[in-house]
Amino acid sequence: MSPTNDDLERHFERLLRDPLTRRRLMQRGAAGALSVSALAYLAACGTDEPSGGGNGGSEEQAETIAKGEVGSQLYVANWPLYIDEERNSLKAFEKEYGAKVKYVEEINDNTEFFGKVRQQYDQGTSGGRDIHVVTDWMAARMMRLGYVQKFDKSELPNATKNLIPSLQSPPFDPKREQSMPWQSGLGGIVYRKDKVKSTPKSVDALFDPDYKGKVTMLTEMRDTVGVVAAWQGADPETASVDEFMEAIDKIQEGVDSGQIRGFTGNEYTKDITKGDSWVIIGWSGDAVQLKADNPNVDFLVPESGGHLWTDNMQIPVGAPEAYTAQKFIDFVYRPEIQADIAEYVNYICPVSGVKEILAERDPALAENQLIFPDDQFLENTFIFRGLKPEEEQELDDAFQQVIGA
Amino acid sequence: MPARLKKAGLPYLLLLPGLGFLAVFFLVPLVIMWIESLKTGTIDTGFTLTWEFSNYTDALSDYNEQFLRSFEYAGLATLFALLIGYPLAYVIAFRGGRWRNALLLAVIVPFFVTYLLRTISWETILSDDGLVLDVLRGIGIVSENGRLLDTTVSVVAGITYNYLPFMILPLYASLERIDGRLLEAGYDLYGRRRDVFLRVTLPLSMPGVVAGTLLTFIPAAGDFINAELLGTPRQYMIGNVIQSRYLEVADYPTAAALSFLLMAFMLIIVLIWARIAGTEALLGTEGERR
Repeated sequence: MSPTNDDLERHFERLLRDPLTRRRLMQRGAAGALSVSALAYLAACGTDEPSGGGNGGSEEQAETIAKGEVGSQLYVANWPLYIDEERNSLKAFEKEYGAKVKYVEEINDNTEFFGKVRQQYDQGTSGGRDIHVVTDWMAARMMRLGYVQKFDKSELPNATKNLIPSLQSPPFDPKREQSMPWQSGLGGIVYRKDKVKSTPKSVDALFDPDYKGKVTMLTEMRDTVGVVAAWQGADPETASVDEFMEAIDKIQEGVDSGQIRGFTGNEYTKDITKGDSWVIIGWSGDAVQLKADNPNVDFLVPESGGHLWTDNMQIPVGAPEAYTAQKFIDFVYRPEIQADIAEYVNYICPVSGVKEILAERDPALAENQLIFPDDQFLENTFIFRGLKPEEEQELDDAFQQVIGA
Repeated sequence: MPARLKKAGLPYLLLLPGLGFLAVFFLVPLVIMWIESLKTGTIDTGFTLTWEFSNYTDALSDYNEQFLRSFEYAGLATLFALLIGYPLAYVIAFRGGRWRNALLLAVIVPFFVTYLLRTISWETILSDDGLVLDVLRGIGIVSENGRLLDTTVSVVAGITYNYLPFMILPLYASLERIDGRLLEAGYDLYGRRRDVFLRVTLPLSMPGVVAGTLLTFIPAAGDFINAELLGTPRQYMIGNVIQSRYLEVADYPTAAALSFLLMAFMLIIVLIWARIAGTEALLGTEGERR
């Protein structure tokens, strides 16, 4: 296969995902609002990351962003359909700061995005990007490699004040110096009420022979392996590589027996709507959307635990308008601005004060546990622990083999 | 003299743009990929050139299953495309009459729609609760909880469908230019229809058969969209592996090594096929000679 085919593949890959992106946004973003009370729990999970994060000795010292002038343009790289459809939030920013926002939905997959920007970032140019949004583990990798700048926190008063406490000190960035949440979400079980024999309660359902060939899991390693490992009794917040490997073995068995039909990105939303899959690992944000379209779809946080993740804004090294980017990050932490975004994306939103605003606009939204979970709800979630690069490589390798590549 | 020189140099001059294009967009990337395939490292530490030839053996032993599957599926799809395409091309070429162009257009028109969309529609058509399966279940061909989508059948069918025009068009081209008088001569010599077909039409259409099978087989073996959309990990082909090694795992050396291996295998298969079918057929010179 010639190299041009690689490009084609990448192009196809993108084409493949783009039409489905309404969901994608839910997928990655699923951030709803973690309620303030949840923070205690999350903070607890956050403290014991064994490794990985951004504090290796070898990492380059990140530069703090200097004060400056607001520029005329700002380039934001984000996941598709991860912002209010009318883009009122962007318009408001443009109006207030006079900087035109070039908002590019170019991130479909953490690893793919990384592959795309790695060379530029490595050479200290950002390809014009001022902000990118990536999931926790990728945010940690960006920090580890010295690809992102350090915030001047004095320029982030809203973010400092309104970031929900549960997300204030993740293991990979305990002081939130190089990452700021965009949205969060949950990996758990999505199922078809009209197809299952009884309401699934746990991951058992994914391995129930009655659902043979009707089960899919996610290609995102942390969601799939995390959920299965937790079900096997491991704690993904501290589990050893061996314990994760056991989960991967279990998944392999499911593939070999035909129990597991396949592994999906966001496209699982159409499979489950059509009835090609019945009980799957999917994302909470999708469930909110899907349920609105099809009452037979429901989401379950398995009793053994659902996977809680966050997508983070970062400012890459070499960003032409780093100072303006900081202004933008702070801007979306104004509750009234965030409310527009949260209302559209239906993810767990990281900004306090938004629930109150949405309660007036749409009480049902404000009541939804998948958008504004309380801490009791979050009791059943885990954060996948930070992995050392070699651990990550090992698990990624093994997992990719299982999912067929 | 200058005129002669000009005459001699002109062909090369005309070749230049094409050669230049190939050098920049084919040769250079190929060399880069070759170097990449001999590196070791991870995405975090970066990749360094260590002349790691074991990348090739490792790739082969890890993914021989997907390699074999690719050639199996591509071979099956090529065969089916030939079985479907030949009669179709034959009818269009010899019985098409004034409908010929319309029929040809009908072959091509569906392919105005992007490959991806067509494959996604197949996904819907073959879906577990879809129309096709309902009918097949109704007449008992598929068992009650059997399925079509996400099986070997759906993947091979998808590949066959997607590459069918690449089979039909060369077949048509070579059938269409067969001199009708040769067939008449065959009948005049008391050849039965079968004999005329086997001894005149078929040999004369061999360039089309060879071109068609190559044009179908080569891209089909590297295809990954059909296996991705219409299959499961158990149907994944080598293209899926390369795709995921490259984009998901960011394991560039293995992806590059796999790409080279695929090219090498393809070359071997094409050479063997050319041997069997004859190089005249491959180059399409057999028809000309007449």
